[in-house]
Amino acid sequence: MDRHRVLRWTGALGVAAVAAVALGSGLSAPVAAQATYEIEPRAPEYLYERTCGYCHGHNVAPIIRGRKLPAAVTSALVRSGNGAMPAFKPTEITDQELEALAQWLATAEADPEEHGR
Amino acid sequence: MSSGFSRREVMAIGGAIAGTAAMTPLARARMLPAEMDRDVFAGVVRELRAIVGDEWVFADEASTISYRKSGIPDLRGEHVPSGAVAPASVEQVQAILAVANRYKLPLWPISTGKNMGYGMATPASSGQMILDLKRMNRILDFDAELGTILVEPGVTYQQIHDYIEEHDLPYWLDVPTVGPIVSMMGNTLERGVGYTPYGDHFFMQCGMEVVLADGTILKTGMGSIENGNTWQAFKWGYGPYLDGIFTQSNFGIVTKLGMWLMPRPPVYKPFMVRSHNVEDVAAITDTIRPFRMNNLIPNGVLIMGALYQMSMFNRRSDLWDGEGVIPLDVIQRHARANDIGMWNTFYALYGTDEMIAAMEPILTNAFEATGADVLTEAEMGGNPYFEHNKTLMRGGMTLEEKGLVRWWGKSGGAVAFAPVAPAKGGETGGQTALATEIMNKWGFDYAPAYAVGGRELHHIIFLMFDKGNDEHSRKAELCMEEMITRFGERGWAAYRSSVSTMDLVAQQYGDANREVNARIKQALDPNHIIAPGKQGIA
Ligand SMILES: Cc1cc2nc3c(=O)[nH]c(=O)nc-3n(C[C@H](O)[C@H](O)[C@H](O)COP(=O)(O)OP(=O)(O)OC[C@H]3O[C@@H](n4cnc5c(N)ncnc54)[C@H](O)[C@@H]3O)c2cc1C
Ligand code: HEC
Repeated sequence: MDRHRVLRWTGALGVAAVAAVALGSGLSAPVAAQATYEIEPRAPEYLYERTCGYCHGHNVAPIIRGRKLPAAVTSALVRSGNGAMPAFKPTEITDQELEALAQWLATAEADPEEHGR
Repeated sequence: MSSGFSRREVMAIGGAIAGTAAMTPLARARMLPAEMDRDVFAGVVRELRAIVGDEWVFADEASTISYRKSGIPDLRGEHVPSGAVAPASVEQVQAILAVANRYKLPLWPISTGKNMGYGMATPASSGQMILDLKRMNRILDFDAELGTILVEPGVTYQQIHDYIEEHDLPYWLDVPTVGPIVSMMGNTLERGVGYTPYGDHFFMQCGMEVVLADGTILKTGMGSIENGNTWQAFKWGYGPYLDGIFTQSNFGIVTKLGMWLMPRPPVYKPFMVRSHNVEDVAAITDTIRPFRMNNLIPNGVLIMGALYQMSMFNRRSDLWDGEGVIPLDVIQRHARANDIGMWNTFYALYGTDEMIAAMEPILTNAFEATGADVLTEAEMGGNPYFEHNKTLMRGGMTLEEKGLVRWWGKSGGAVAFAPVAPAKGGETGGQTALATEIMNKWGFDYAPAYAVGGRELHHIIFLMFDKGNDEHSRKAELCMEEMITRFGERGWAAYRSSVSTMDLVAQQYGDANREVNARIKQALDPNHIIAPGKQGIA
């Protein structure tokens, strides 16, 4: 059963102190009212790992790394959604982020760990 | 070509890049509101741009294309938006509502717009403008002692997952099977489900902020108490409980949502019950129910049909290239080759080693008595079907189930039908027989799952079809109508529906229900600008 042991109970109080620092005053904090990635774009690898990679490479969709896919094609497919693939809107992945992601994919190496379908 | 695209594919993709050159009129990315002329609409767009900035209003064919995408049949162009507007704050939402009221512009709010199987971001009727709240994506509060969270609409489960990891918080998420790209807000407002002990999402919701059509900001429950700090701790507040009327509803726009999170258990142990025959689903249901009622099984149990499971990782042609629907013996043969049964039930235990050791034999004996095999990591570790549900029952991130949308090949389509019933063997047996009969008649494969809450279960039927083929789409539409109608005749109604069948399902809930909803709508949104048609409410 050890493989399922996630972690021992964590002292909630210690964590609370950490989180309080990290979050500041939470609710009342006057944070800039827009998605942070509009100001600081997320890197292609970060986006790939947290979005595309769950399907492409995980038995759901074709492998798209290491195929030199033209960047303009990738961008268009991401915006329109291709067959079973959902569309991703500029509010989810900004134009700037998408351009960088598509460029990165055009030259990214294949990952032998990935399984296409 | 080195990219692996055929010449024809590249040309088709070229159409997508150029905007919508290749589209037929019915496949248009946008349609204006029925009763608004072009000039008025242009004026509205100008006013909206002044509120959110030019780049966050989408009002031409090319820029609206992402909002048009869905996987459900829409042969007559009945779910085509007029465009989209994406505010970044509650104040901007209020300002947009003022414009919408002035011009009677219908707005269809979405959080992340990934309502897959139910119409994605598309509206109940054409011409509505999508109110895309995704840019409001902050985790506003995370109380590490209470395990409560307050989120804006655009926050995805992935974002919360990352946040929990980054801050090493001792909590687990509960996710629908498509967590990474969807929102806690949209899912919970649709009363969606997951598979840990916190699987009934609306049950775990606590406090919300709603912007009403006239711009009023309502905080439900304890949210408006001056100097209060109980908003995410106590659900019910004082007087009538209002949160429910803003779920599956068009009475307001929800801008903040509170939720409870599950404390991370020290030990987690997933189980799979492998049943060999289609009929076994009745005995399995009757075995689960008492354990869900007394909470010895604490999580949202999934009874997965073999074909649902195999459709994640296979195309239909991998299993069958003969005439008609896939015969049972063929499904059985492939299931066996994958070490799964015709039904595979997933539950889990959470706690300490001692607690789990005490519970495990009680459950194992009960399920074995139905003739099934009860399997654990020891036997099934590494099997992709086991690993999938092991991930879900601990609220992990996966999109594997999206594979089922590709069942028929390139131009995927899937529309969901989810009738509810009491968690009794006779009900699952009866629903499975009826769905199989209707779907097979239309030429579709029955690929089911049952999600057992407590005393009830959701029957989750994905009708997989080829959206690129109009004839097939038409059959999918008619098959869905027949299922809704004939299940209705037996007293089984859907808990949720695609934008294309909202009226049909609302009728089954009766005139008095519809009338009361209509009166509330009239009182809160007299111009009917928020999501007309949502859940059959004009
Ligand atoms: C293969 C597959 C598996 C799935 N598995 C599951 C599952 O396990 N559990 C499950 O529950 N679902 C499941 N779904 C369905 C769906 O994808 C999810 O429920 C998803 O969370 C909904 O998308 P969303 O979060 O982007 O919501 P959205 O699309 O943003 O919202 C859904 C609807 O809620 C309303 N709404 C949203 N935000 C607001 C707001 N702020 N104010 C007012 N109204 C609002 C709107 O009417 C909107 O259309 C599955 C779908 C597929 C295809
Ligand atoms: C929910 C699963 C899913 C996600 C997430 C997803 N895709 Fe896809 N994608 C697919 C599927 C499925 C196809 C195949 C379409 C078909 O044939 O039906 C596809 C096709 C593609 C293709 C064409 C490949 C080919 O060989 O035809 C590209 C390029 C692509 N996706 C890029 C992306 C990028 C970039 C992302 C991340 C921003 C992404 N996808 C996210 C499911 C997904």
